Amino acid sequence: MKRSRFPFYMTIAILVFFYLPIVIVFAQSFNASRFGGTWKGFTFDWYFKLFSDKNIWHAFTNTLIIAFSSTSVSIILGTLSAFALYKYKTKLQITHNILVYLPLVMPDILMGISLLLFFVSLKLELGLFTILLAHITFSISYVAMVVLGRFQDFDYSIFEAALDLGATWWTAVNKIMIPYLMPGIAAGGLLAFTLSLDDFVITFFVSGPGSTTLPLYIYSMMRHGSPSVINALSVIMVLFTFVVVFISKKLLEVKE
Amino acid sequence: MKKVFLAAAAAALSLLIISCGSKKNELHIYNWADYMNPAVIEKFEKEYNCKVVINYFDSNEALYAKLKAGAAGYDILFPTSYMSKLMFEQKMLQPIDHSKLKNLKNIDTGFVQKGLDPEMKYSVPYMMTFTGIAYNTKKVKNFKASWSMFDRADLAGRMTLLNDLREVIGAALKFNGYKYNSTDDKELETAMNTVIKWKKNIAKFDVDEAKRGLSSGEFFLIQVYNGDALQLINENPDLAFATPSEGTTLSQDDFVIPVTAKNTDLAYKFIDFMLDKENSKTNMEFVYYLSPNIPAQKLMSKEFLNDPAINPPKSVLDKSDFLKDLGENNSKYSIIWDKIKSSN
Repeated sequence: MKRSRFPFYMTIAILVFFYLPIVIVFAQSFNASRFGGTWKGFTFDWYFKLFSDKNIWHAFTNTLIIAFSSTSVSIILGTLSAFALYKYKTKLQITHNILVYLPLVMPDILMGISLLLFFVSLKLELGLFTILLAHITFSISYVAMVVLGRFQDFDYSIFEAALDLGATWWTAVNKIMIPYLMPGIAAGGLLAFTLSLDDFVITFFVSGPGSTTLPLYIYSMMRHGSPSVINALSVIMVLFTFVVVFISKKLLEVKE
Repeated sequence: MKKVFLAAAAAALSLLIISCGSKKNELHIYNWADYMNPAVIEKFEKEYNCKVVINYFDSNEALYAKLKAGAAGYDILFPTSYMSKLMFEQKMLQPIDHSKLKNLKNIDTGFVQKGLDPEMKYSVPYMMTFTGIAYNTKKVKNFKASWSMFDRADLAGRMTLLNDLREVIGAALKFNGYKYNSTDDKELETAMNTVIKWKKNIAKFDVDEAKRGLSSGEFFLIQVYNGDALQLINENPDLAFATPSEGTTLSQDDFVIPVTAKNTDLAYKFIDFMLDKENSKTNMEFVYYLSPNIPAQKLMSKEFLNDPAINPPKSVLDKSDFLKDLGENNSKYSIIWDKIKSSN
């Protein structure tokens, strides 16, 4: 029987859909034309403009602070939540499951507005801290779901065997459970990191004075700024993401 | 591994809490990106020994939604005048105390009186904007600065109109000798027929694709806001901009102070500083828009003032209008717009 070529073409089509826009942005970031209508020659101008704009760098720093700290916190809380969901099958945990799952399907705009109303009613000053809380809120769910997937294959009897053989609970967690979950935690963390890095809608609502993040700045540049600088910035972001993914893959390979 | 995360999280949290500490002499402005000269802001910071923190929004509607939900801490906002009006009506803005702005006398009152806040009760004009026609000088023969260009069959398929009912129907009203903001059924009917006729000649109702298309040579003539046209012309010397002699729509971006402002005094100082003729001039040169500031305009170069995409001719200005909120009559426009969209 001849194997169908359909899956092959489908894969190619999907890869083109995913990566062609990135390639175009990459090319346009070197295009001397401001709107990218026609090719007007090769230039590094947009990169020079990008590096000399201190507002962009301030926004970029904010974005990184938020992304790193929200990822670290949500990794811990998300993993704990996944552990509870895996270990206990009570009624309460079913509710817990739904609550963890909900932010994944809730529209961003709803979450943004309701978080803003919540922070305002608490009289919390809007700023980096409220953005951090918001990002942790949605990141936990992603981490929890990914780690829970890893938990499904976890043989709890190994953990119990370690306890029987004299390991303290902490040692067993440290030596058995965490190493086993590590790929899940890393994957969940990366997901949380990238989501935090490019979130616009929620961040827009919960940001306060002096806490502009990169996505907020980029959207605002649409009216008066230059799209080409945004292209240059996107290229750097994409490269940065690739490097992060690459390093984390390498790290995981060593562990396996 | 976990310890590392814990340490990182703790460090990040403490850093954030510290950074949320006291902010005494800070001014928080909420503006569009690239819409104010950083050199002028630095000068203000030095002169008043304070720090200006700029925040950015991307649309008037988003700004409104956010402030309406209770976000506070911004001292000056820069909405477009239709949004300032809405925000004032909903008691989101402070009335402007004219005694605190000694440079307010610089403002062109003739222009302001056409606008939505003729007495500057709650807003001070920042920059003026308007609509017009951008076209390719190499491709469009016998150009006439008039809305009648959309009648030209030789340009069929190479022109675009904005995807905005008030702008498009308004242009047709002006073309027929009526006024923007008309609510007269007969006049609107005539305008509708004009737009339906134009629709046969245009490729689409759009702005972003139209800009790209004009730049690349796909389109020859588009209805466009002056700010967008400026960006286009800057890049492609074959392009030019004109305001139709029948008149066009005017608009302005404002300075407004929200009721939740924390540093109102400094906000007034900042607005007054920006209205100073020298500062306004430096700012205009960077932003490349015209501020309705008479002494500052006198300092501008000939080249700047003669640019039709910055400063429309006086004769056109006199015939132009601000788009006003028509209340219940807004639905008349949407009904006509639906008819236009569905016509063949």
